[in-house]
Amino acid sequence: MSRRGWRDLGSALAYLVPSLAVFIVFVFYPLVRNAQLSLYETDPFGGLGIYAGAGNYRRLFGSPSFLNSLRVSFLFALYTVPAGIAAGLPLALLANRPMRGIIAYRTAFSFTIAVSIAAAALIWDWLFDPNVGVLNYFLSLAHGPAIGWLTDPRWALAAVAAATVWKDLGFNVVVLLAALQGVPDELVEAARIDGAGPWGVFRHVVVPAISPALFFLGVVATIGVLQSFGQINILTQGGPVESTNVIVYSIFRNAFVNFRFGLAAAQAMVLFVLMLILTGLQFTVFERWVTYQ
Amino acid sequence: MAAIAVVVLFPLLFALSTSLKSAAELGRYPPSLWPHTPVLDNYGEALTKAPLGRFLLNSAVQSGAVTLGQLLTSSLAAFAFAFIEFPGRRALFFAFLATLMVPLEVTLIPNYLTIRGLGWLDTYPALVAPFLATAFGTFLLRQFFLTIPRELADAARIDGCSRRRFLWTIVLPLARPALATLAIYAFLSTWNQYLWPLLVINSTAMRTVQIGLALLQSQEAVSWGLVMAGVVIIVLPTAVVFLLGYRHVVRGLTAGAVKG
Amino acid sequence: MATRVTRRTVLRTAGALTAGLAFGGRGVPPAAAQAPTRIVFWHSMGGALGETVIRAFVSRFNASRRDIQVEAQFQGTYDDAVNKLRASIQSSAVPAVAQVYDIGTRFMIDSKGVVPMQDFIDREKVDLGQLEPNILAYYRVGGRLYSMPFNTSSAILYYNKDLFEKAGLDPNRPPRTFEEIEDYAKRLVQSGATRSGVALAIYGWFFEQLLARQGALYCDHGNGRDAPPSAVVFNHEEEGIRILEWWARMVKAGVATNPGRPTAASQRAFVAGQTAMTFDSTAVLRSLLTQAGGKFEIGTGYFPKPPAAAAGGSIVGGASAWILKNRPPAEQQAAWEFVKFISAPPQQAAWYAGTGYFPIRRDAYREPVARETLAKNPQFLTAISELRSSPINRATQGALLGVFPEARQRVEDAIEATVLGRKSAKQALDDAARDIDQAIAVYNRTMRIS
Repeated sequence: MSRRGWRDLGSALAYLVPSLAVFIVFVFYPLVRNAQLSLYETDPFGGLGIYAGAGNYRRLFGSPSFLNSLRVSFLFALYTVPAGIAAGLPLALLANRPMRGIIAYRTAFSFTIAVSIAAAALIWDWLFDPNVGVLNYFLSLAHGPAIGWLTDPRWALAAVAAATVWKDLGFNVVVLLAALQGVPDELVEAARIDGAGPWGVFRHVVVPAISPALFFLGVVATIGVLQSFGQINILTQGGPVESTNVIVYSIFRNAFVNFRFGLAAAQAMVLFVLMLILTGLQFTVFERWVTYQ
Repeated sequence: MAAIAVVVLFPLLFALSTSLKSAAELGRYPPSLWPHTPVLDNYGEALTKAPLGRFLLNSAVQSGAVTLGQLLTSSLAAFAFAFIEFPGRRALFFAFLATLMVPLEVTLIPNYLTIRGLGWLDTYPALVAPFLATAFGTFLLRQFFLTIPRELADAARIDGCSRRRFLWTIVLPLARPALATLAIYAFLSTWNQYLWPLLVINSTAMRTVQIGLALLQSQEAVSWGLVMAGVVIIVLPTAVVFLLGYRHVVRGLTAGAVKG
Repeated sequence: MATRVTRRTVLRTAGALTAGLAFGGRGVPPAAAQAPTRIVFWHSMGGALGETVIRAFVSRFNASRRDIQVEAQFQGTYDDAVNKLRASIQSSAVPAVAQVYDIGTRFMIDSKGVVPMQDFIDREKVDLGQLEPNILAYYRVGGRLYSMPFNTSSAILYYNKDLFEKAGLDPNRPPRTFEEIEDYAKRLVQSGATRSGVALAIYGWFFEQLLARQGALYCDHGNGRDAPPSAVVFNHEEEGIRILEWWARMVKAGVATNPGRPTAASQRAFVAGQTAMTFDSTAVLRSLLTQAGGKFEIGTGYFPKPPAAAAGGSIVGGASAWILKNRPPAEQQAAWEFVKFISAPPQQAAWYAGTGYFPIRRDAYREPVARETLAKNPQFLTAISELRSSPINRATQGALLGVFPEARQRVEDAIEATVLGRKSAKQALDDAARDIDQAIAVYNRTMRIS
């Protein structure tokens, strides 16, 4: 490496050291420890127990339940990430217009950012109730059938996804609104003068300008959604018939209820690698489409 | 537009309405959208059940400290990733992002052992230290930093402006909306933690609010009015923080800081 | 409806009682200048009643003695609390005394991190004669009491007397057998009285109870009581299959509703009058009475069993108090004093009246608050008479299984799969058994249990 390269690396590290120190102690060390645990049949205290080699991994990939949880996680991300951005963008666009009292709308649209996932899940559990819930009550007013939102395997994942989209909506609106406000007025004006309609302005000026934010939301939401377990723990506990059993929930169960740390560690390693690949793909495929500056 | 706002807020309004219902009214079907006779019993009970005041203070200390720490570490790291061309930049950035992909569940036990080894169980450092850096914040700020025109950096360098001064006097002021977004996010996500504070804190005096919410639920029978009152009490402070922070975002934006 | 005993009356009465009593025969030591022994108590009693009652107990105990001061610390759900213990039990970062749920019993013993309660009982020659024999039968392992039962319950049938009357059923004769439940549910729905005859939450505990009521075992080696278990057996017997088939049949016929896994939804349906019957723990009796709020009358009955079932009965559920080994002996002794206090009649009676958990001891029923409660709400008698009428045998003692939390989930998976028509009862139970057996094998290997 050139002297200049070393010097740049040195000065960059000076900026990175505070974060790196925290990550090494509280993320990378546990990760290494986790990789080690995944090779063991651990004891219920989380100690190493008996060496198992690839035993945990072999068991996972031979287990229909684990393969199902991979599928469910993928579906869950598919239901929530695009829907979350698709719901957030129009709201952000609406709230970005200059009008009286717009602050109130901005606040309303982004308010769910202030709600914890546990609180959100408790509220939705009540809304989804098959017998006394408000949703089914509204349906009954429209002479619709009572739906087992959380107890019917055809609905459960979509219902949990809906609650998740609602909870994440606020955050998406905040980020998109911040990005929209950064779109230079002159650019929009220039496009209008060139005869572009509202859709043309949106597609050719607004979207490229907010593409870093969209990309950010896509990556972060995917990672976030693949890590979500709070709402599943409260709403469905992975059921019915494992239709909402996402990997992280299964990891949580194995590690914290079933005392199976080795198995949970192996699941976590698989999830980790999958997310790495997915994020790598997002960066190689989509980041090219992002216009910075 | 008002209708959309009502739809978005409906679940929260419903929680508020539920928290104002008496136990007998809660058990009524069809559910009333607004209590016939609103009562504050649930709030009284929630506040006497759990020392929520103390819990709120602990959560405020934890969330405040984490927010400040994250703003600092993320600004520094994002600056390096956005403005310094150094060898291995992409790999290191990916290593940062990788920290987001480590499921929380697997870091809990090793981190518990680390904290116990440091003798930090049941203290504020245990609540704060593991969260002082965030790849999420670094990524968020990097995305915003990258929209700052390169020419600005070049001009600054030509003017003999050191990197540090460039960061403090030009980049950070420009990135105020992004910093406010990160601050809100950091504060709220720390506020909403459950598993970690539960694990490293034992005493009631050090508990945080989300555990207070759990405290309002019994093992066998849930009193929904009480729980919803707890939800409202716990959401209120975050709503205030959010509103205050949000005004700041808007002000930063209307100043035209990032435009052009 | 009769007036209800309010929480406040319960606490006030308990307070008045406690004030006049000295516990464990030990008064305040003369050398009161000594600093008191401070101990920590971990518990999982949240909610409208739990926390208040525990706090009242602790402050009363602390006021009654100068040599010991207890600090009660809520540690989340039962699962959360066991988790914390699991991470800390081999260190000194544990409390002196902790509340752990019934199904954690085997694990706590195997952890070797506890001091058996029996050691204290033997040292002071405490007479356990007043304790309910069925409760002792659950918590005694190898003839020794490792923990002191604190909150004990069993599963009962709750029904809506008004809906029974509407359907032309005798409101004072609850169904007793599987067939009767099914028949009643059908008549309730067909008469148009309700859309849901019975709401059955998918809860592994109900399966365990229904198995025991038929005198059938959950796992081998005498339900894990003669030796640590090596496998579950519920899938080999017709009793287990019968439960699931009956359950699924009612759901399929549209007379039973499936409110999902936790009992929260079935409770909501029941108090809103949207289902005529439900299964739940007796511990929610007070809560259901409050929520029904006089809109309809709640009846209670025994958990059902098939008419031809062998000698069976109900199993005790709930939680018990454990004294931990990695604390100094003085703290352990102090913990024992506290354990004696919370298991004394006034506390047990107050707890009973406030929740529905039954007292662990017979003399608690002589307390005025207990008598008052029973006089006003005879429903409080159902669970305890159900328990007392249960013979004590390996089935009703309940299984001791190190991997019980996981086993319960697997059984819930099996119930769900059967109810939703995805698997036959036999297939579902076989699949669950296979997974559980594998978990047992790992547990036994890593805990070095042969």
